Amino acid sequence: MSVYLAVVRRILSMIVTLIGVSIIIFIVLRLLPGNAVQASLGVSEGLLTHAQIAALDKYYGVGQPAVQQYFSWLHATLTGNLGVSLVSRSAVSTLIGTALPVTLELAFFAMLIGVLIGVGFGMWSGLHPGRWQDDLGQGVSVVGLAIPTFILGTLLVVFMASKFHYFPSSLPFVGIATNPWLNFQQIIFPALVLSLGIGAAILRTTRAAVLEVENLNFARTALGKGVSRRAFIWRHLFLNSLTAVLTMSGIQFGYLLGGTVIIEQIFILPGMGRLLITSITNRDFPVVQSVTLIFAAGFVIVNMLVDLCYALIDPRTRKR
Amino acid sequence: MKRIFGLRGVAAAALALSSVAVFSTSIEGSSASAAGSTFVIGTVNSVQKIDPDIVTNFLDFEALGLIYNTLVQENSKLQIVPDLATSWAFSNGNKTLTLQLRQGVKFDDGSTMTSADVVASLTRAQATATADPSASFIGSVTKIAASGPNTVVLTMSHPDVSVLEGLATVNMAIMPAAAITAGTIATTPDGTGPFEYSASVPNTSFTMTANPNYWGGKPALATVELETIPTEQSIAAALEAGTIQMGLLSQPTVVNSIPKSYPQQGVLDLSYRALQLQDKKGVLSNKDARLAIACATNRKQILQDAVFGKGKVVGPVPLGPYASNPVSSICPTQNLTQAKKYLKLAGKPKGFTFTAITSTDLDSTSGAQAIAMQSELAKVGIKMNIQNLASNAYIQDWLKGKFQAAFAENGADPDPYVMYGRYFGAGADLAVPAGYSSASLKSELLAGDENSTAAGQKADWAALSKNLTSNAVWIWLFDSYDYAVMSPTVKGFTLSPVNTTQLSSLANTSVS
Repeated sequence: MSVYLAVVRRILSMIVTLIGVSIIIFIVLRLLPGNAVQASLGVSEGLLTHAQIAALDKYYGVGQPAVQQYFSWLHATLTGNLGVSLVSRSAVSTLIGTALPVTLELAFFAMLIGVLIGVGFGMWSGLHPGRWQDDLGQGVSVVGLAIPTFILGTLLVVFMASKFHYFPSSLPFVGIATNPWLNFQQIIFPALVLSLGIGAAILRTTRAAVLEVENLNFARTALGKGVSRRAFIWRHLFLNSLTAVLTMSGIQFGYLLGGTVIIEQIFILPGMGRLLITSITNRDFPVVQSVTLIFAAGFVIVNMLVDLCYALIDPRTRKR
Repeated sequence: MKRIFGLRGVAAAALALSSVAVFSTSIEGSSASAAGSTFVIGTVNSVQKIDPDIVTNFLDFEALGLIYNTLVQENSKLQIVPDLATSWAFSNGNKTLTLQLRQGVKFDDGSTMTSADVVASLTRAQATATADPSASFIGSVTKIAASGPNTVVLTMSHPDVSVLEGLATVNMAIMPAAAITAGTIATTPDGTGPFEYSASVPNTSFTMTANPNYWGGKPALATVELETIPTEQSIAAALEAGTIQMGLLSQPTVVNSIPKSYPQQGVLDLSYRALQLQDKKGVLSNKDARLAIACATNRKQILQDAVFGKGKVVGPVPLGPYASNPVSSICPTQNLTQAKKYLKLAGKPKGFTFTAITSTDLDSTSGAQAIAMQSELAKVGIKMNIQNLASNAYIQDWLKGKFQAAFAENGADPDPYVMYGRYFGAGADLAVPAGYSSASLKSELLAGDENSTAAGQKADWAALSKNLTSNAVWIWLFDSYDYAVMSPTVKGFTLSPVNTTQLSSLANTSVS
């Protein structure tokens, strides 16, 4: 019962967080100089008469009071209608419906590879402290944390294109159901680039957790009782290190969403990050608000799932 | 444990090394099929709007310029040549323009173009509710009337031969009167150009198919897609990977990184970089102070630092039959001695300080231009502070004239009246950001606009260039190249210097 109450409490706090985020986004966007008309026209706005500008303001709906704009957007969002893009006049839900699966797929693969790299190398390093395996693991983590993803991504794109005439992401993006093989090729390389930083952080956490757990009393007792090496590693070390790994993975997911913004630009993926950048440039507020809200919701939901997973993997937390 | 990791490590390394080669082989089929059916052009921009009367983004002009025609157009030599009007004549002291229309032209909806469509199109462009940014180009037109099915007569309030240049912009596209009445232009493009609108994915791609009824003959390219690729480096990579057939680029460093086996075309585009000055207040209201800046400016060095020398130092009229020659009547090249003399005349022998705004969002080279100029001006004691602004902040300040100096990239036109009438002419729309006005400039602009003889116009526009530079109204700097890099299989494409119709030769392009 306490778990259910905790879930309800987390959902309520998530709603409050998202409302707060929506207000902050709304205010920040309005503090930016310019509006959709100016972003659309640039300096050509000076060529229009006041009457022409008034006609465009009406067309873009930029003349409404800010409070009215916020509540009409909030009302529309709560009723499932995210509004219409000021620039393309497409429904925001359609734009997000096209972009979100791309980013989710990218994030999934990046997390998967990052966790595999991080946990694998982290366990390996932690089991061989001070030896060459540990040095190699530490080296991988330093490289992963030190190289910015935009540099690694650009280098990979240029290398593949110039040496192998290969840049699958530059073909029109295809969904996984349409052409799974081409879809895999389009996603795997940006996911690899994104995963390196994630893997490096998880690697360090896993290594530290393994070293810590290895020296706890219960671990030494288990070894003393003659538990096999394999069982000791997977049942005792791995499972007991998992809480720290999970926490780090949840945090990394937040950075991952930020990373997709840059990687989608370099690898030409029509995802949420690219949609966000374009919409900010165009002062396309309905799109920016909705995309940011979805990013925030994603972050909050993942962290809530991480909290719930604690209860699954560590029985002690269920009693709290 | 050690053994398991070791084997897996070797397997993973082998997989990683072979994966690119395996993928590469498999992708060739995909790219070949894409290339075979669709001609893909990579560009960092995306098509935003599809109503030709309201577009301002260069790529919108390019795309809609392939779907629509105008009455006249500018050719690669920047001369006005026929498009939907086959001939024209000014009369009544250059206050009446009569245009004869091309016959047998069909819109995408199958209807035949008549003078009624032209009247409806130009009337729509003039209407306040349309908010056509080029409406002022035909602002002198008081009456648009059909004279038979294939003749249109424009009546102007005053002599205005520049109206012809105004009719060449895509903002004056000809569309069916029925579509205007039905209000479908903003959602369904319907023109007479070589291509028909097919599909548009916001911020991603814009697709057109060959118009089988095009009056100039059906294009060889069946489908053309403008694909948005956010970075120029990624465009170069896509070109080398064979997934696009052409890339539109502006950064010389990226162009130089592409192997020479990919044909490259570079043209000086119809734009110019200038340091605009607010000449009505502060130290820059002193003409000699402005001339000191003009003489201390090393335009070649700025060109080198900003675009690696890939461009041309230009004056107020950068290209076309009336191009400024010399580029400046005062100090066409850097002259520090003369600059110091002007400083003394200005009563500032030790120099002065002013602030220039840039926006690297709008023009990525503006930062390099500003730094180069800053170091040159410092040689005579002029201190130029640089303030870099986000694009919208820059635009707001620029429109309100809230700057002392502004590094700007402005659109140009072969007709100096079209270029500068909006800044310095009578009732100029952009008089505030222009920051300068004089009766002599107004009268020179008017004289050139009213004069229909070639020799007379040449003299009028030479006087305008001299007036602008001898007063150091602004400091004109350079014009840079636009590039198209393409697959070796592309034939018949020529990049036009006219920014808004650079892709017009796609109608005659093929892939071998």
